[in-house]
Amino acid sequence: MYLELNHIRKSFRDKPVVQDLCLGLDRGGLLCILGSSGCGKTTTLHMIGGFLSPDAGQILLDGEDITASPPERRPVSTVFQSYSLFPHMTVLENVIYGLKFRGVKRGPAREKGRRYLEMVGLAEYANARVYEISGGQQQRVALARALIVEPKLCLLDEPFSNLDAALRFRMRDELKGLQQELGMTMVFVTHDQEEALHLADRVAIMDQGCLVQEGSPLELYRHPASSFVSDFLNLDQLAWGEDGTLMKIIKKGEDF
Amino acid sequence: MDRLSNNYRKGASFDAPFRAASLLADRALLAVLLGSICVFVLWPMVCIALRSFQDSGGGFTLDQYRTVWSSYGRSLGNSLFVGALTAFFCTVLSVAVALVLATSRGWARALLMGVLLITMVSPPFVSSLAYIQLYGRRGWITYRLLGLRWSPYNQWGVIWMQSISFVPLNAMFLQGILSKLDAGSIQAARDLGASPACILRDVVLPLIRPGILVSLLLTFIRSMADFGTPTIIGGRFNTIASDIYLKLIGYSDLEMSAAMNMFLMAPSIAAFFLYRRLMRHCSAITAARQDRQTALELPLRRCGGMGLLAILVSGLFFLMMALQYACIFLTGFLKVSKGAYAFTLQYWEQLMKYNLTSLWRSVGYALTVSLAGTLFAMLFAYYMERRQVAGRSFFDCLVTLPYMLPGTCFGIGYILAFNAPPLRLTGTAVIVMANMLFKQLPTATKLCSAALTQIPVSQERAVRDLGGGHWSGLRDVILPGLRPAFLSCFVYNFSSSMTTAGAVIFLIDPGRQLAVFRLFDAVYQGEYAIASLIATCIIAIVLAVEALAYLITMKAGSRHVS
Repeated sequence: MYLELNHIRKSFRDKPVVQDLCLGLDRGGLLCILGSSGCGKTTTLHMIGGFLSPDAGQILLDGEDITASPPERRPVSTVFQSYSLFPHMTVLENVIYGLKFRGVKRGPAREKGRRYLEMVGLAEYANARVYEISGGQQQRVALARALIVEPKLCLLDEPFSNLDAALRFRMRDELKGLQQELGMTMVFVTHDQEEALHLADRVAIMDQGCLVQEGSPLELYRHPASSFVSDFLNLDQLAWGEDGTLMKIIKKGEDF
Repeated sequence: MDRLSNNYRKGASFDAPFRAASLLADRALLAVLLGSICVFVLWPMVCIALRSFQDSGGGFTLDQYRTVWSSYGRSLGNSLFVGALTAFFCTVLSVAVALVLATSRGWARALLMGVLLITMVSPPFVSSLAYIQLYGRRGWITYRLLGLRWSPYNQWGVIWMQSISFVPLNAMFLQGILSKLDAGSIQAARDLGASPACILRDVVLPLIRPGILVSLLLTFIRSMADFGTPTIIGGRFNTIASDIYLKLIGYSDLEMSAAMNMFLMAPSIAAFFLYRRLMRHCSAITAARQDRQTALELPLRRCGGMGLLAILVSGLFFLMMALQYACIFLTGFLKVSKGAYAFTLQYWEQLMKYNLTSLWRSVGYALTVSLAGTLFAMLFAYYMERRQVAGRSFFDCLVTLPYMLPGTCFGIGYILAFNAPPLRLTGTAVIVMANMLFKQLPTATKLCSAALTQIPVSQERAVRDLGGGHWSGLRDVILPGLRPAFLSCFVYNFSSSMTTAGAVIFLIDPGRQLAVFRLFDAVYQGEYAIASLIATCIIAIVLAVEALAYLITMKAGSRHVS
């Protein structure tokens, strides 16, 4: 396994938030941690990113134990839920900020920054201020800023929750395309079942700090571990294609 | 069901005459608010400008300005010199203290905040008093401990004293910005590989740059306007503010002081507009989604040279503060006999006999100003934020102007504006309290406006939708919602009124002394023990009233909830 979480535990003031969590992900895969709010998914993501340290357990990335290393030393970068762009810098300066800690000179850094901006379709906004661009564009800047440092692992914390529905669909496809193009390993946290099933190679469902089930979307569909899983995923509303990808979600009428 | 229809009938029975009367009262209240702002803020400033061009017969002249230029040019230069250096030193200190405050937590934070709070409720002049006691000719440290013989009465003493005494306000302001910074920016920088030192340099300091500029600007203006410190410890070193003080108190030369004041007022007004621009940048930074204050996630100890410097500098500052207050509290109870210190209640008894009326008068004035000022600020904020008032930005600007206006200007403006009928107020208590109220209105209004933005407009719309008018909205939604602002506003007004000196010193009637000026006289005449006792009393009273106001509001608040 490329990323391994071994028996992770975390409590806040004696209240267990994550309990004995074991998860794994192969190189180039996209894992989606799915659960309702308060299930411990964001805490898990923060522990992988290094912003929280687990009370017990081990986190391995590419064979290396990173449990104790601080965020600035981890080969992991994050796209934050609220983007957390630096308001006093331009779009390009935001994107290339991480490169200066990797010994990249200013000239090559700007060049690489422009390439990544082009990749997310924002080449003409390089010199704009971050508060001058729209929410979807800020999202792309945050994504480019995280990817440009070529991390071993990219974390996304409900990245589309601040976008409207139409934009969310588009960004979802763009993200999937980018991920496959770069071969980037990603962990994605969301509470949106549809998003998870569409995007992920592997889905991990969490409830009250525990892992309920982990598997590919189709596995979850064919063999839900419990009625909680099938209820949470609304499995009877899904239609699947021959190749095992999700086709659509059948909306029930308002008959309840 | 029955009750509901009854209530509905009551709501519907707003008949036409009642509505008209209520509308009239609404307009009248607004007119009173705006009118008094014009009379008590704009008019005094206009008076200074007019008077500075008048000769003794009332004709136009530039003589005053020529005299100021020829005889007070040196003082002006001194003021600029002191102002610039003080602004620089004070801001460096303030940033260091603010960084330490914002990154500390638990008991350390509580302790540091407590120290700053005490310094903020202290009357002016006490730092000068402590300075003389600690570092003066017979100073506890310079003379008795180190055996030095030196005179502390020079420009460096003034710069040093001002730099230290303006730190608490600036540090509180900066730490407010720091703790409201978007924590995400710092997390993101760490995530991308930035070390704490890099985060401090690349993210934190650039983000608070407008705040730093505000601190520089405010300190510069405050230093220019401060006449107390140069008068007490400047020795032969005069600034334009201390010259104005002498000219007015010593010679009662109104025309000359008006002209001299123009040299303070004009830059202050220019600085004021710059300040408003900068503050807009400040609020843009802190507008980020974060509404609650959290400690800044930045380990200062690992921030390299800059972080260590901040810790060192603020450590020194807090040490000096501790020394200063220990010195103030002790001076009142210690007596030198045969080279040794002994505890004594002699000065305390002296103070009791000396008469305490000035202290009680101060408390009375402060309570009146606090209640009236808080009410005024609430109503004014309500009209400005919630109602379409013609000339809104003009009045908003006008009401904020006294914040930057030097005390000497605001004082002389009042003398000039209110010494003739129809508004003959000089020598009364009203002019003193009005001056305090309008000097404090900018901050009070800001506190109320901030609280108002927390009350959703929809609540007020709901009242109107259910049949209530503006008055019902004001009574049932706005005023209850402003309860937390009432506390902070009242406390701010009270402590400022108890400790203000700048403008009021020119307005009080000799027969109606206030505690702060007793303190000033005592320091000036070298009665340090009495001065320190008065200072101690003022600090104790302000803290007691603050605690009381806090308790009452908390109690009322909990009853309100249950």
